[in-house]
Amino acid sequence: MLTETKAVVVSCDMVTAFGAGTDALWNGIRSGATAISKIDRFNTKAFQSDHAAVINGLKYLKKDSLVMQMFRLLFKDNSASIPEDAKLILATTKGEIDLLEKKFLTDRGEASDSNPHKLLKKISALAGVKDRGMIISAACASSSTALARAASMIRSGHGDCVLVTACDSVTEFVYAGFSSLMALEKSAARPFDKKRSGLSLGEAAAYALLMSDARAKREKRNIIGEIAGWGMSDDANHMTGPSRTSDGLIMAVNKALRSAGADEGGISFISAHGTGTVYNDAMEMRAFHFVFKNKLPVYSVKGAIGHTLGAAGLVETITALRALKEKVIPPTVNLKAADDDAHGWVSNKQRALANKKMALITNAGFSGINTALVVR
Amino acid sequence: MINIHGIGWIDARGYGCIAKGTRVAYEGDTGFGGLSKKLFSHPFKYFGRLDRISKLTCYAIALALKDAGIDYSPELKQDIGAIGANDSGSLQADIDYFNDYVNCGRTLARGNLFIYTLPSSPLGEAAIHFGLQGPVFFSSAPKKSLLKVITTASEMLLSEETTAMLAGMTGENEAVYFTLMRDNTANKDFLCDADKAGAILSRDMPQDKLVKEFSSLRKGRDQ
Repeated sequence: MLTETKAVVVSCDMVTAFGAGTDALWNGIRSGATAISKIDRFNTKAFQSDHAAVINGLKYLKKDSLVMQMFRLLFKDNSASIPEDAKLILATTKGEIDLLEKKFLTDRGEASDSNPHKLLKKISALAGVKDRGMIISAACASSSTALARAASMIRSGHGDCVLVTACDSVTEFVYAGFSSLMALEKSAARPFDKKRSGLSLGEAAAYALLMSDARAKREKRNIIGEIAGWGMSDDANHMTGPSRTSDGLIMAVNKALRSAGADEGGISFISAHGTGTVYNDAMEMRAFHFVFKNKLPVYSVKGAIGHTLGAAGLVETITALRALKEKVIPPTVNLKAADDDAHGWVSNKQRALANKKMALITNAGFSGINTALVVR
Repeated sequence: MINIHGIGWIDARGYGCIAKGTRVAYEGDTGFGGLSKKLFSHPFKYFGRLDRISKLTCYAIALALKDAGIDYSPELKQDIGAIGANDSGSLQADIDYFNDYVNCGRTLARGNLFIYTLPSSPLGEAAIHFGLQGPVFFSSAPKKSLLKVITTASEMLLSEETTAMLAGMTGENEAVYFTLMRDNTANKDFLCDADKAGAILSRDMPQDKLVKEFSSLRKGRDQ
């Protein structure tokens, strides 16, 4: 049974292709810029695309994995704010998969170095927490699932401080896989655009420290926002293709609203998964039309920073909390002409947020997994 | 109150349903081959293309649902969730996919191998076949992963996130899944409550011992 306790975010940060820090992402997106560009990390000649949103300065197939390099940047100035008794959750799809690549391509290390439990141990040490932690992997909804679990632990009284971490990187392993599924946009992704034709891969690491409101108050923490509700579902339909009826996402959104004690009128804007694939974006818009009687501002960050896979939900939740704070709804970067079903919902311009109420964040992934979070 | 309504298990010697007290040993050295027609109540589309971990997961889930008396079909979608753990994520699938890709000259990756490089994919296959429309995700911990997934499933049921949960673990040659449901206090038709299951699982034992422990609960209940 959930208690009256609130699960609040007291600290968060991210590293994306715009650079280190939430400000870098926020300013980048607000300016309408995209961090997606041609990449030279590996040979892309055989692939559907040669574009992605990668973080400058990371070294590929060297000593440290890409995601560990990101986490070092992330925790450089932040670990002091994380209590050592925090429970730890790591959300990722492929974690240190470049360590497996290194074994196959350079015969250094072992394939098992990519075991996510090894990454979990490293993050635990880097963040300075005692907990051995747990891994959550729910495809591209991994970190929103992790946030839901963290909030649930706090609201059900099974913990009062949870550190949610998330990461994924742009590697040949992942790039070749998405290319084989014909899922990549040739240049930069154009979520909700009439001419969208695929996603752009991106990479990121992020963290959010959640506490019970009582502990946050006791420790005089700055409260950034609250994970007020969550809902999860599965389409039970197809391994890679989104539902043609959107019933899975509709179910997740309705569960999230119920869990937050809100109705559809309580939502001010939607941070959509918005990958830029024809079917994902159409599936989401169908769900939004079904749940919301009136048009709401919708945006996607993936035209700016690409699809950061397991990190997407956390990056997008932090961004939505920033949007609530600044009372600004960011633009959907790369949008030229909104598709018919998204017309009047999405915009390539930033919009002022008239009523600061709650935001809905949706994510969806392979295996038909859907998540919806409500934050305020 | 959260209770365990069924436990399905499979290993290299046989399979069974604990609440119903059924145990089937393979005849001869048949291994896991040819089980799909015996264990699934509906034809499983393209079952042969699934990787080993997905097959074992789906077998154990079929047995756990049967043990709990839950009928299913891909067409009848139910708000039932599934959480699964294992010790190595999707390591074997990762090796299979990337080895194949490298052997093909790093020009052509196979999408059907790539799909299984997500640790949540075995549960995704289960969700499609069994019509599970509740929360689905992979979760694993350095120790006592099975206890953690059962605890998480209990929490999710307590907070009414879904109506029933399947939670379990798959190893190289074995899998076990529990069916958890929220009951009113009057219902006594279950194997044990989640707290009792948690106490057993906190001892972190191998699967064959775990099957024996939970089977003894059933015998105790029937006496």
